[in-house]
Amino acid sequence: MIGPEPPRVSIEGFEGPLELLLELVEERKLDILTVRLGDLADGYLARVRALAELPAEEVAAFLAVASRLVLLKARSLLPSLEPVAEEDEGASEEELRARLLEYATVRGRASLLGDRLRAGERAFHREGGTVELPPRGGDTSALAAAWAKVLALAARPKEEDLVAPAERYSVEQRTEEIEALVAEHETLSFATLLGERPTLGYAIVTFIALLDLYRRIVIDIDQDELFGEITIRRKAGS
Amino acid sequence: MTPLARAIQAVLFVAEKPVSRGELVKITGSTPRAVEAALGELGAVAEDTGLRLAHEGDDWQLITAPEYASYVAAYLGADRLRLSSAALETLAVVAYKQPATRAEVEAIRGVNCDQTFYTLMQRRLIEERGRREAPGRPILYGTTWEFLECFGLTSLDELPRVLTLPETGEAGLRPVEAAGPTRPEQL
Repeated sequence: MIGPEPPRVSIEGFEGPLELLLELVEERKLDILTVRLGDLADGYLARVRALAELPAEEVAAFLAVASRLVLLKARSLLPSLEPVAEEDEGASEEELRARLLEYATVRGRASLLGDRLRAGERAFHREGGTVELPPRGGDTSALAAAWAKVLALAARPKEEDLVAPAERYSVEQRTEEIEALVAEHETLSFATLLGERPTLGYAIVTFIALLDLYRRIVIDIDQDELFGEITIRRKAGS
Repeated sequence: MTPLARAIQAVLFVAEKPVSRGELVKITGSTPRAVEAALGELGAVAEDTGLRLAHEGDDWQLITAPEYASYVAAYLGADRLRLSSAALETLAVVAYKQPATRAEVEAIRGVNCDQTFYTLMQRRLIEERGRREAPGRPILYGTTWEFLECFGLTSLDELPRVLTLPETGEAGLRPVEAAGPTRPEQL
């Protein structure tokens, strides 16, 4: 429902006729309940004359109230004046007074709300993302088992300590190898593919080859638990 | 504190959005009446902490106590909300009369309120609350949780009451606010 920002209309410090009227009452230290609103007609008109710059529809709102005030003034000057028969209820002094009272209440409430805002005593609530629960199977024994594997790996001689010819692996070549293996055996484990002592480069190329085969729907990949063995299964029909 | 009140406190502590009483009943497996009592207990206990228990209708949330806003704001780097007096007037009408239509607000303020509604909607201080079953089915507006938070209120019952009319002569003291704000209509 939020459209483009409509232009803001506020000239001479008064937003609307009620605000102007209330301002007049307050300036003269009058009581809304007892003031004869007709008495405000002159002061009101003087202010409205200064609002000549307002757009027509805004002026209309001010003038509607002005005409009512003038009518009330005329009545008070000529008490014998009979109310016009078809005059609608909205033109009575009490109706205008009621509106003014209601507006004064709103202003009072608004200023209290404004005080609270300025005092800055606001509240805050918790913000942030949903609590991340650990993935399924993330139990401590799985973590311990994984750690044991890492320790076992670390116990092996480091790759750089081995004097080995420079390795060259190609993903394409490894993919072909695995594809052939899968055609032969229906299921394989990742550990089998890596062999006894894989180098880091060999492991990476093997893993990428698997992902590629999975993408081409040649194989299916399963891992039952966290850090557990990865099973490669030939996809039916491939 | 009863175990139920503690359980509810724990749930509300991690909740990022208000939790309904019905949800609390379901989570704790208790009766609505017991949950109601526990919430009352929790609200009283919270008074002694930096938190408050806030509710809007049947939705409950733990919020920070308004007195310590400056510290929390310093930690969060939050900006202070500023509103024009026109926006505050419109907000006052919606807050105390909710749900209210735009036409009702304009009738009371005597001016066009498009701009202020736009501002208040954008700041998420007011929101649409369905439509009134009247000619034209006008949209109803009510205040939001953000409104309660921004003004440090724990519920709409805490809206400040106007007891005096500002500078209207000797007979200034007048119980304008006889009744509290009207409860939001059930939609």
